[in-house]
Amino acid sequence: MGMRNRNGGGGGGGGGGTSGACYVYPDSPATPGIVTPDVTFDRGIYMNGSMTMDDGNSVRIWGFTDGSGGGGMGGNSFPSPAIRVTAGQIVHSRLNVQGMMWVHTMHHHGIEPADHADGVGHITWDVDGVYTYQWRPMHPGSYFYHCHTNTVLHAEMGMYGALIVDPPEGPGTLLSGGPTYDVEAFWVVDEIDSSWHNLRWDAGTCGADAGLNTLNPDYFIITGVDGSGTSAMNREPISATVQVGQKLLGRYICAGYHPQKINFGGLTGKVYISDGRPLPNPIEVTELRACSAERYDIIFEPTEPGEYIISTDIIHWITGEVLGTAKTNVIVTA
Amino acid sequence: MKRRDFLKVGSASVASTVFGSVGLLSWAPRAYAQTITKTFYITEGYQTLITGEDVYFRGFSDANGMVNVPGESLIVQEGDTIEITVVNTLSTTHSFVIDGLVDSGPIASNQTKTITFEASKAGTYLYYDKMNAPYNRLVGLHGGFAVMPSGLSNQLYPGSPTFVQQYFWIFNDIDPVWHNAISNNQTPKTAYEPRYFTINGLGARPPGAPGSHDPNIDAMVDTRTALHGQIGDRTLVRILNPGLASQSVHTHGNHMEWLTENGNIRPDIWKKDCIYLDGDMGSLDVIYPFEVPPDSYPPATTGTYPMHLHTEMSQTAGGGFYMFGALTDIYFE
Repeated sequence: MGMRNRNGGGGGGGGGGTSGACYVYPDSPATPGIVTPDVTFDRGIYMNGSMTMDDGNSVRIWGFTDGSGGGGMGGNSFPSPAIRVTAGQIVHSRLNVQGMMWVHTMHHHGIEPADHADGVGHITWDVDGVYTYQWRPMHPGSYFYHCHTNTVLHAEMGMYGALIVDPPEGPGTLLSGGPTYDVEAFWVVDEIDSSWHNLRWDAGTCGADAGLNTLNPDYFIITGVDGSGTSAMNREPISATVQVGQKLLGRYICAGYHPQKINFGGLTGKVYISDGRPLPNPIEVTELRACSAERYDIIFEPTEPGEYIISTDIIHWITGEVLGTAKTNVIVTA
Repeated sequence: MKRRDFLKVGSASVASTVFGSVGLLSWAPRAYAQTITKTFYITEGYQTLITGEDVYFRGFSDANGMVNVPGESLIVQEGDTIEITVVNTLSTTHSFVIDGLVDSGPIASNQTKTITFEASKAGTYLYYDKMNAPYNRLVGLHGGFAVMPSGLSNQLYPGSPTFVQQYFWIFNDIDPVWHNAISNNQTPKTAYEPRYFTINGLGARPPGAPGSHDPNIDAMVDTRTALHGQIGDRTLVRILNPGLASQSVHTHGNHMEWLTENGNIRPDIWKKDCIYLDGDMGSLDVIYPFEVPPDSYPPATTGTYPMHLHTEMSQTAGGGFYMFGALTDIYFE
């Protein structure tokens, strides 16, 4: 039921990308108000990636490639290659979606650009060729970018990457006139329901019951690594090693759908930024709860040498049951 | 009872008429307290959802002959006397409760009860049926209730950041198996597995879908739900969750100013693009500031952005139908 696109047409969509899909809006127009950027990020699409879990099973992963080739020029990294920019820069994210890769978008989550740069299909379009998102980040902090086409599935499949906005001082400073840091760790915590990972890109869009109302995760990952055992331990920049006297910045991104609780294993941190906005008064934390797509930038100044386990419980959104835990570590040396 | 004996659920058209009369979008303060009267009819019926599935609901309705889910949102002023008359047209016992303000106690089948209470504390509340909890509430017996601070038109609480208009976003999640059990006056025995997700009683209908852009059907344009503003039209949104699923409320275009959580004023106002909404009666108050989207270049003053729950399972209907769940649009005009 339903129609294939906003025009109500029955065609399969231009570029051969959308046959059989519903409620996608394929287009790749010129960018309104386009100017010469300060920096450009080229992103293609891969849909044949995989991630090997600690139990030996392999789970299919989709994501963004680095490079204009679109077909894996930059390799199939997971998470997708980070975008790191400086506040005030005019940025172009140039998304290249080849026909065999169907349609996708880039939504720079937490960045608030013009709507034609926001990457939301039903309001603008789902990219079926090359489209350039133009934006100018104004607020330092941790963000992430993800696909916003059939989002429930595409983001779960792994179509996301970190997006970091530095202040003009560059990496090492969290906020202009604010705290600095010596070491940086990336805690991008997500859950995977492997039963979703064999679905088509357009699963459910025409109304078939694809089970997308129920996410029953069997893997719990941190920054693209199985976090259930020791795989993400001693693996920088997921883990970190800091000396007493140094400052560690933890960039925590709740990349899953179920709520999470991150515990810092005995370390006390100070949250300076959440969702790319400085807190009026930074708060001290030993753990935090987070909902889907929240971010927290936390600075630690450890005083006692030792190993600290950073563990994140993934919690069922209805029952509150702990479904699994993803772990990494911080080593503090004298 | 057979389905044809029931009423069809209607929602948006009735409520939007009422909004005009109570001035939801432009609250006018009074120098004096007033007595506010309202009659709710507890009714039941079936609503045909996007999949074609007919799902049972109960509502606090404006008349016997309709089913309103949620019930009409009410805005009153601190110090007002509220007289609520509840006409229970059903065969089951129900109640009318606002935590912290009033509890009607049981209202038996085919009974009418009038309860009187003072709107003693400014804030955002859910009125709901506490009997047979949470089932009666989940199948639709709930609505929004707001108490404005005495004499103030533009603050949530004295000294709060200001706004020029206000909305309710009432989220719910629906497991048809549970609704069916409740329609038969049985206690659900299956694990709760919601298949539909609504905002102010509606799912969204993306462009090209049946009912798209119909404000009676499509949460993207429902006048109770979709935000409209020009730059500077700071908008209070009172967010309530009678459903059981916790959610991540996510706005595009602007961050939200986060004022309260579960009825408590936050110690500091954080600007957030995602906020944790507790399941099972969680609430939030936020201001959507309608500022120039800060990262737009050239700066944009008009445009359309979504509000959606980032708990993406809630964006579906019947296990698929992405974008037919709990989301709406925000219009910079």
